[in-house]
Amino acid sequence: MSARILRRIATEWSGGLLLAALLVGGSALASEPPPVRLDSTADHSKYKELQQEFASGPELTKVCLSCHTEAAKQVHRTKHWTWDFLNPENQQRLGKKNVINNFCISVPSNYAFCTSCHVGYGWKDASFDFTAEENVDCLVCHDTTGSYRKLPGLAGHPPYKDVEIPPGSGKIAKAVDLSRVAQKVGKTSRDTCGACHFFGGGGDGVKHGDMDSSLASPDKEVDVHMDATGLDFTCGTCHKTASHDVPGSRYTPVGKDKGGAHMRGKEDKSNPATCQACHGLSPHKDSGMAAKLNHHTDKIACQTCHIPAIARGGVATKMSWDWSTAGRLTPDGKPMIKKDDKGRVIYDSKKGDFTLGENVVPEYAWFNGKVSYTLLGDKIENIEGVTHINKLGGSATDGESLIWPMKVFRGAQPFDAVNKTLVTPHTAGNDDTAYWKNFGWEKAIETGMKVAGADFSGKVGFIKTDMSWPITHMVAPKEKALGCSECHTRGGRLDAIDGVYIPGRDANRLVNLIGWIVAGGTLAAVALHGLIRIVRRPR
Amino acid sequence: MIKRLPIACAITVGLFSLSSLALAYDADWKRGRVYYRSVCTACHAAQAGGSIAPSTMTKAQWASYLQADKHAKGKDSMKQYVSKAYRASIRSQNKAAEKFAEVADDELFEDVKAFVIKGAKDGEAPATCS
Amino acid sequence: MERIYIFTRFERFWHWTQALLVIGMLLTGFEIHGTYHLLGFAKAHQIHGIAAWALIILWVFAIFWHFVTGEWRQYIPTMKNADVVLRHYALGIFRGEPHPFKVTRRQKHNPLQAQAYLMVKVLINPLLWISGLLYLYYNELAALGQHFDLATIALAHTIGAFLMLAFFIAHVYLITTGDTVGAHLKAMLTGWEHGEEKNPR
Repeated sequence: MSARILRRIATEWSGGLLLAALLVGGSALASEPPPVRLDSTADHSKYKELQQEFASGPELTKVCLSCHTEAAKQVHRTKHWTWDFLNPENQQRLGKKNVINNFCISVPSNYAFCTSCHVGYGWKDASFDFTAEENVDCLVCHDTTGSYRKLPGLAGHPPYKDVEIPPGSGKIAKAVDLSRVAQKVGKTSRDTCGACHFFGGGGDGVKHGDMDSSLASPDKEVDVHMDATGLDFTCGTCHKTASHDVPGSRYTPVGKDKGGAHMRGKEDKSNPATCQACHGLSPHKDSGMAAKLNHHTDKIACQTCHIPAIARGGVATKMSWDWSTAGRLTPDGKPMIKKDDKGRVIYDSKKGDFTLGENVVPEYAWFNGKVSYTLLGDKIENIEGVTHINKLGGSATDGESLIWPMKVFRGAQPFDAVNKTLVTPHTAGNDDTAYWKNFGWEKAIETGMKVAGADFSGKVGFIKTDMSWPITHMVAPKEKALGCSECHTRGGRLDAIDGVYIPGRDANRLVNLIGWIVAGGTLAAVALHGLIRIVRRPR
Repeated sequence: MIKRLPIACAITVGLFSLSSLALAYDADWKRGRVYYRSVCTACHAAQAGGSIAPSTMTKAQWASYLQADKHAKGKDSMKQYVSKAYRASIRSQNKAAEKFAEVADDELFEDVKAFVIKGAKDGEAPATCS
Repeated sequence: MERIYIFTRFERFWHWTQALLVIGMLLTGFEIHGTYHLLGFAKAHQIHGIAAWALIILWVFAIFWHFVTGEWRQYIPTMKNADVVLRHYALGIFRGEPHPFKVTRRQKHNPLQAQAYLMVKVLINPLLWISGLLYLYYNELAALGQHFDLATIALAHTIGAFLMLAFFIAHVYLITTGDTVGAHLKAMLTGWEHGEEKNPR
């Protein structure tokens, strides 16, 4: 039938052959299902509601919520929204708005700047309405264009018109095209999570040491799972999220996952982001060493061997921060910045002295997942010693701990020298007390403490602090995992770890002494015996 | 004539859908980023004298550079380096070429273009090499 | 002088294989212990493990052989003539006196020698063997509810290793105390030893 039609076309139409060819091609296409995008069931660019200009984020969010009716209420329940968390272990009130760290110190009184990483719009002071659904920022997590950004000082809003930021810098931040971003929303990605988490502490790689912009599109050397040309994991592959609640918290991490690999259908409420949640408890296979390596899993966190260094991706992380040297100005009263030979900032009048590092060998410690913080109002016992901003629980004997790699971030920061408490300085802002503008600690801390509702004596001192960050990202390819002799030796990586016998590092000194006396004595005795035989040999 | 009508319609619809498909291709800047870094940058850094960050040129410069399609100061074509043939030739040593081996030439070219325009000096997210 | 065939082919194979394995295990074992760096921990550990299994298999065969052939009787401890032998090593040997003990098929080790070997077989070897297997499998035992402290296991294993080292040193030296310096070594290589009995074959 079709052959006859084709013949007729060929004879009746000029140029029929070309058409016939097209038709044959067309019929081949017709046997295939029509092309469709397979990454989602919805193409947001087809929604009429999104094909309009939006004046602000909240205005757009209302449109999102007209279909995703429960989304905002889900987000409202998460730490990403509340920045508030009650640790059920020790009843400490944590969360970003409550804790104090030794990086940029604290959030209160600096809301408009800090909340550029809040999943909401408009948190500029304590009056922020946490119940308003339209204040949820959908785009910061669901942007796929890479063009959405929130800027410090805008209280979580993106720029709606071109703005100079910071003012007077000459750097223009372009307005975000909300309509375009909205029409292209999609799943979260390394880029969206990374927009905040890569830049914690005020810059690329500053805070974590195992998360920086090198993970946006990494190769296998940097991260064996996220390898963009390989497994291409997103953050959500491990931090498997349901109802907008992202599992795997730094406030209540899992020190020792004894649960084994998660299985479909099996109810499992444990953290899906641990190594064991996929790899199980006997992860080493196909090697003569596998059995012995698997024996290590009862004492050693996977990360200890498989993440041989901190900041492996070519972006330096801050290793220390000394606030006590902040405030030095040039002779004409201007703040200054000093850089090292690699162009990295090592002094900033606003912030003090820094040290940075790449490929830093971690410190190691027993860790059971329990973390307690030194919070605002907690008395500092020893002002000469080092105050632990966070104290990680764990020991060789509690049965809940593994030996973990840590980035230990050391610093000096202001405190109330009379009340002996940590303080929350007002750092960022274009006003009369902000430290970064006025360089006066007393006023800055007075303002900050007032906002935080805490007592301040007016007397400022500086104390040494440290903070431990368990290292868990940037897993190296297995060829780059630590070899035995990194730890099985005296002076090795685990030299300071107590409570575990490490062959090659440890020995009973008495047994060694007696052993060598016995063996050496035997050798001396036979040598002497032999010598006498030689001397006395009858001729 | 009665028989011709549906055929003519089919042709029209077919042609229309083909052209609309071509128009609708939505460049994937992330795929472009992976290809640019793993193929373009990798080779430039190793063989052609240093890295070539997208942020070294403006959007307009990139657009005209890509339009001109002159690679290595006009010695060869730029497009050939995103072609299937080129990818096939390096896929045994290059994981990006391997991964994107079957992507249509035009699409991959658009992806790379989207990435460099985005990462240009005056782009949405100037991309440097770190 | 009469020559007798005292070390059968299996015995010699057992002896020399064991010698090789024990030397290897001493070398790698003390490296694992952290005494020195020679092959690197990983390599030393690997060789130590392979040698351990080879030695265990060898021992199983050797134990079987001892019982089947009745050769285990060679190691029944006796004090008969022990004083004479001791006196020889302490004095006689320096005067060039011949060894008071004459090797026979029935008794191929002098009483001190037999007791030393017995010590190796019932004390040092089991100590190393048991502590070594615990070293390999303490995690599996812990999973079964049997908790052993690795430091204690390692301690026992180390004590065994030092004893083995001391035995090894003394043993190698005593090889040279035959009628000639090389006589014992030759016997262990060929199976033939000078003695009083006629060749039974």
